[in-house]
Amino acid sequence: MLPCLAVLAFASLYPSGAALFLSLHDYNWGSRFEFIGLGNYVELASDREFWITVSNTLVFASIACVLELALGLYLAVQVDRLPFSTNAIRALLMAPLMVSGIIVALMSKVMFDPFLGVINYFLSLFGHGPSAFYGASNTAMATIIAVDVWWQTAFVFIIMLAGLHNLPRGPIEAAQLEGATDMRIFWKIKLPLLMPLLLTVAVFRSIDTLKVFDIVFGTTGGGPSLATEVVQTLAYRTSYGFLQIGKAMAIMVLFSLAIVVLCVAYERLQPDAER
Amino acid sequence: MFGRRGNLIWSLAVVGTALLLTLFPIYWVLTISLKSEADAFASPPVWWFAPVWENYAKLWTKDVFRSSFFNSLCITLFSVILSLAISIPAAYALSRLRPRGARAIARWLLLAYMLPEFLFIIPMYGIYQHLGLYDTYMGMALIYQAHVVPFSIWMLRSFFADIPRALDEAAKLEGCGHWRILWSIYIPSSLAGIVATAVLNAIWVWNELAIALGLTIARAQTVTVGVTSFRGYASIDWGAMAAASIAALAPMLLLAFFAQRHIVKGLTLGAVKG
Repeated sequence: MLPCLAVLAFASLYPSGAALFLSLHDYNWGSRFEFIGLGNYVELASDREFWITVSNTLVFASIACVLELALGLYLAVQVDRLPFSTNAIRALLMAPLMVSGIIVALMSKVMFDPFLGVINYFLSLFGHGPSAFYGASNTAMATIIAVDVWWQTAFVFIIMLAGLHNLPRGPIEAAQLEGATDMRIFWKIKLPLLMPLLLTVAVFRSIDTLKVFDIVFGTTGGGPSLATEVVQTLAYRTSYGFLQIGKAMAIMVLFSLAIVVLCVAYERLQPDAER
Repeated sequence: MFGRRGNLIWSLAVVGTALLLTLFPIYWVLTISLKSEADAFASPPVWWFAPVWENYAKLWTKDVFRSSFFNSLCITLFSVILSLAISIPAAYALSRLRPRGARAIARWLLLAYMLPEFLFIIPMYGIYQHLGLYDTYMGMALIYQAHVVPFSIWMLRSFFADIPRALDEAAKLEGCGHWRILWSIYIPSSLAGIVATAVLNAIWVWNELAIALGLTIARAQTVTVGVTSFRGYASIDWGAMAAASIAALAPMLLLAFFAQRHIVKGLTLGAVKG
């Protein structure tokens, strides 16, 4: 127990405290180190780049999250209906989860290449002209969302499939005897029973998508101009690119507060989960 | 709407499409890594081609890639061992001894797990430079515990909860101490759960990018950082990029394939029991 607390204190409490402390200073890794109170926060409030980034992050997280939940749940329902053992199918569908985000990013760069990529080739078969994908501001965000959906939908799928397997058989069989259609059984019985599980998955996916870094870093790096800049890539650029440590920490403190709020909301919504 | 038969065909079609969409990118990148340059850039794409190994050979002679691959292996191994050593006793203590403040600790664990990477990276950068942990295996394994330990404790607690309490009551009557109970009852009877935890931790550590990017530069550079050198927008050495991607994802895909049942159990247990 004690070593656990010690390591966690070092690896999580110390950084949080230090982050708060640094966010109140003007610091550039080197000699400049000055207490400026809430200066960094005031600067952020009027920083157009910061607000664009926040809105990009929210757009990415909400669309990716909704798509992943809907597709993952739908796929779980369809696989659950198959009358044979689906272990092999599940194993194959799980493959993207094992791939690192940066590798997913590199793979997608090869596939979505504007000139020679195989996706543009498929589009041309259907009579579409080539798209620039990552190269243009109006398509870059949609492409990143599509890549994240490919990568993480399986997480929702696996957990919802397990949830469907664990549902009590009784009410479903009773409804079938009464002649209820599959549609009705799903909406009236299965979905309400799955709701707590779906909520848990939704919280995990929403926090994870808000924290997106690898895919953006590996593909567009936040561009073109600011079209795909998200909070964590902005923090990386601010600290390692522009050496504005105080400002980067202020961004992270605000962002962490948002995540804490989400976690607390989640705990409130699931009072019985806490043992 | 279409009757039972129609439903089944529809389900099969949906699942088939999902399989195709899921596996095609991996298949496609694999073929590019085995294509000669002319075949890789052919338009329209070539479906049948004579495989070549030169992309992998090139990769292997590249020092950056080889050493980062080895670094990742070591860091993953260290992190997993350290995380089990910390979280097995901690999970036992939390689930059986029920110390005061267990709720607070559980909350803290969840938060440490959820907080964004860069909140940790930047303060750690400063202190790691002072302590000499920057760009070392030990430093990386240590910082990864902030994420891996909460997850492990959460998983192990749900596996430990399946062990009947009567067993440790009996052991206590026989005069066994806590360490003895842990060692000869809890660890053997939840071995499958421990394996699942270790595998999921290994996958997470191997695939992590942001922290490795912030806290390593050369000696401990991980494979995920190593492959970013292939990412420039104008970079068109597709063969090398594809080969690097396949080489970096292969170990975890293999591990996942062999431990498939454990992983599914691990991923779902915590959530389903919730």
